[in-house]
Amino acid sequence: MDFSFTRQQEMLRNMVREFAEKDLASIALSLDERGEFPYDIIKKMAQLGLVGIVSPKEYGGTEMGHVARMIAIEEVSRIYPPLGFFFQAGHLGMYMFQMFGTDEQKKKYLIPLCKAEKVACTAVTEQSGGSDPSAMQTTAKLVGDEYIINGRKVFITLGGVADICCFVAKTDDKFNAFFVEKGTPGYVIGRKENHTGMRCIPVNELIFTDCKIPKSNLVGQEGRGLVAALTVIASIGRTGAAGIALGAGRGSYEAAVKFAKERELYGKPIINLQGLQFMLADMNVEIEAAKWLCYYAEWLLDQGKSTREISSEISRAKLFSCEVAIRTNIKAIQILGGYGTTAEYHVARRLKDSIELLSAGGTQEIMRVTIGRNIMA
Amino acid sequence: MKRGNPVWVWTEQRNNRLMEVGVELLGKGLELSERLNVKLETILIGNQTRKLADELMAYGADTVYMIEDPRLQTYQSDVYANVLADLIREHSPEILLIGATNIGMDLAPRVAAKVETGLTAHCVDLCIDEDNGIPYLAQVVPGWGGNLMVKIVCPEKRPQMATVRPGVLEKPARNEARKGEIIKVTPDIKDGDFKVKTIEMVEEKAVGIPIEEADTVVAGGWGLFSAGGFKPVEELAEVLGAAVGGTRPAVDKEWISDDQMIGQSGKTINPKLFISVGASGAMHFTTGFLRSKVIMAIDQNPDAPIFKVSDIGLVGDLREILPYLIEELKKVV
Amino acid sequence: MSLDIVVCIKQVPDPEYFSRITIDPVKQTIRRDGIPTIINPLDKHALEEGLKIKEKFSGKVTAVTMGPPSAREVLEEALALGIDDAVLLCDRAFAGADTLATAYPLASGIKKLGNFDLILCGNETVDGATGQVGPQLAELLGIPHVTFVNEIEWTNERDLIVKSTLERGYMKLQVTLPVLLSVVKEINEPRLPTVLGIMEATEKEIKFFNAKDIDVREGTIGLAGSPTRVADVFEHKSKRKGEIIEGLPEDAVKRAVKRLRELKAI
Repeated sequence: MDFSFTRQQEMLRNMVREFAEKDLASIALSLDERGEFPYDIIKKMAQLGLVGIVSPKEYGGTEMGHVARMIAIEEVSRIYPPLGFFFQAGHLGMYMFQMFGTDEQKKKYLIPLCKAEKVACTAVTEQSGGSDPSAMQTTAKLVGDEYIINGRKVFITLGGVADICCFVAKTDDKFNAFFVEKGTPGYVIGRKENHTGMRCIPVNELIFTDCKIPKSNLVGQEGRGLVAALTVIASIGRTGAAGIALGAGRGSYEAAVKFAKERELYGKPIINLQGLQFMLADMNVEIEAAKWLCYYAEWLLDQGKSTREISSEISRAKLFSCEVAIRTNIKAIQILGGYGTTAEYHVARRLKDSIELLSAGGTQEIMRVTIGRNIMA
Repeated sequence: MKRGNPVWVWTEQRNNRLMEVGVELLGKGLELSERLNVKLETILIGNQTRKLADELMAYGADTVYMIEDPRLQTYQSDVYANVLADLIREHSPEILLIGATNIGMDLAPRVAAKVETGLTAHCVDLCIDEDNGIPYLAQVVPGWGGNLMVKIVCPEKRPQMATVRPGVLEKPARNEARKGEIIKVTPDIKDGDFKVKTIEMVEEKAVGIPIEEADTVVAGGWGLFSAGGFKPVEELAEVLGAAVGGTRPAVDKEWISDDQMIGQSGKTINPKLFISVGASGAMHFTTGFLRSKVIMAIDQNPDAPIFKVSDIGLVGDLREILPYLIEELKKVV
Repeated sequence: MSLDIVVCIKQVPDPEYFSRITIDPVKQTIRRDGIPTIINPLDKHALEEGLKIKEKFSGKVTAVTMGPPSAREVLEEALALGIDDAVLLCDRAFAGADTLATAYPLASGIKKLGNFDLILCGNETVDGATGQVGPQLAELLGIPHVTFVNEIEWTNERDLIVKSTLERGYMKLQVTLPVLLSVVKEINEPRLPTVLGIMEATEKEIKFFNAKDIDVREGTIGLAGSPTRVADVFEHKSKRKGEIIEGLPEDAVKRAVKRLRELKAI
């Protein structure tokens, strides 16, 4: 068994790390304080080829694969998790087109999305509960050559800045996936959530009121919309959340180690205190374990496994990684003592961002449900 | 009677001013030539440099090879190198010392390659040692780790060439009574020989006190990372009216500019008081300030090599020590 | 118009880990094992300049390095940036070289590649920091050189006006290709490799040259061919007392200031 990353993957990691340290580290705080979507950073990431990292080359992507995607998300999140969140959510719409779209849809939308000329969001969750998607109320009524959409989506990441929204709605008792472009009459971007973490990534309500979209806006097969969306959420959203958590945990762990080597109490750096060594050792083990769960899931995707086949692997990665991120960040805050919650050390900010991951790409409990179901089988 | 191949120093002039480092090298050159019982000679290239030649003899040169040509008033890399190499081939000096200004660093390696000899850069000390009774030039440079120094030699090729940074060596005393010989050299230089033509040279004034001229210098190193940057160093410098310097990592992090860098490849200074903050004291850095009158170091590692080269040391977190230090100094300064 | 550009690069230990480098006092060699390596920072600027010039005039950029087999990593990084060809001069016989014994194989290797119009180097490395290889290489290739280059102005495709920094100030120099330029960091902002660049880099072939492949003069390479060598490693003995003032910061500082006054430093 060869557990090493390829030379290409190592070089990718170095590149994203350098980009994150040079271009993100210094503006992280101000981005958070201003809470504005960082269009120029996203464009830069697109120029580097990161936005289209799993998309086919013929549609403007770089097609480096899911392991590569995890590397990019981890390295970006190590410095500034909200940009990892951009990948987590922004890739959902791209993957919908990639996996289920027509050639024409891919040409028209996937290409500009890879270049970050446009941004896409994916809307499934409603008031009825993201964990119970088949209870959704949004309807899509076929009238002639158009669908008329009515309903409300909530907690949609990137909703406020998305040029394209991929969503799922009910036609009679079947679920269909569609896309709608911003500015379409009847499609309104609703209120923005004031959430604790991931401050520069908008999360919005989306309201459809007699919104008419052409029949050709159907994505994928008729009646297979929810299945398609859930597949994409599993392979992209869930893994994305796992990657962000891994990066956020690692970043704070490294900060804690560095601090413990410099900070002195009783005449010696505090890393000499066994109590702290134990804390750091636990963090070390958990992050390594999370790392392998994450990369294993991505590797399986690269091997061509379907999300159904590897639902446990993906769920494990997300479940464990998110819990590790929170535990690690809390421990790191304690190791930093009074400095732990100050702005310069970024650790508390990573904790705030990590909390947002608990319900991203599926809640922790849904992960357990998935694993439990597989155990029962 | 001085027999044997001479010790040579290439003395740089700019705008008909002798560069200090050349004079400093004459002091060392004198020591070496007396030890070897050979002549000390300098090569001076420029235009209308008679007064400079007199100065050089006052500083100890037995001979000044003077090359005067209006085309050579300003440094012309290609031609200077050829002139120097030709002279070397003609006179076979034992040793050639060149001051490591930017121009010296441009010239020395080219010349060394032309005459196929060895060149050691940025030496912090030079002396004559013996091997089986045969004298040779010991060229000392800082080593890696702790307080190690490395001795480099050029056993076979001649001349033994070395560059030395400004400020490393002490300037010798001037003695108007010294007599020497000026030998005019007129190399055959065609206009077409100038493959690299210097068309403009602009020298700017220093902004603020240059660190090599300040009485007090505060320098910071990698340890300032924990403080988020150089602010504590700058505040301490302000209270003392000191100039600010630092290590190479501080330049890399863009906390200070290139000309504030102290060390083997930076500046060598000797202020009345030198304070090092958050630098562990690698030899490459410490050789830059070893001749300071008083040295104080602040670092969080009690085993850091910097304490071995300091008069006074404070061990601890600089983020805690500096505020107290600044407050205490405000009372007395 | 198409320019053949050669960029000389070097794999060096990562300066963040310099404190871990030691000298073996018995063997008198530098011990660098286990220390992470990077491409010499100024070489990134040299590569960037090469790529910019290629974009301006069209042509080819080749990166050349002399080193152990692991030095292929810096060539891969250069390929990921978009250079066209990569050459690794690798042979046990090259080891232990001083700057002149490095310039010889570089010169022979570059001559073997054929015609070139421009050679770019970083002005100095972070480990040796002599800044000597560039000018020596130029001498062996019989071309002019300029060091400390922070700006290049093209009069036309063969003639340049180059700005070279002085300690305080600068020189402007006129030169015609072929020439070797050693660059400093102010000259440009190096680009990051893109994902596509990285993927294509590992597909490209790296040329390996050993001592026999290049026509290098006998006795000019490696430790044996180096005119200079390390004769001794010794500890610097300081005459200073190294008096460490103990105690809590507030008190220690008071005593330190008192001491400074006693020493008449303030």
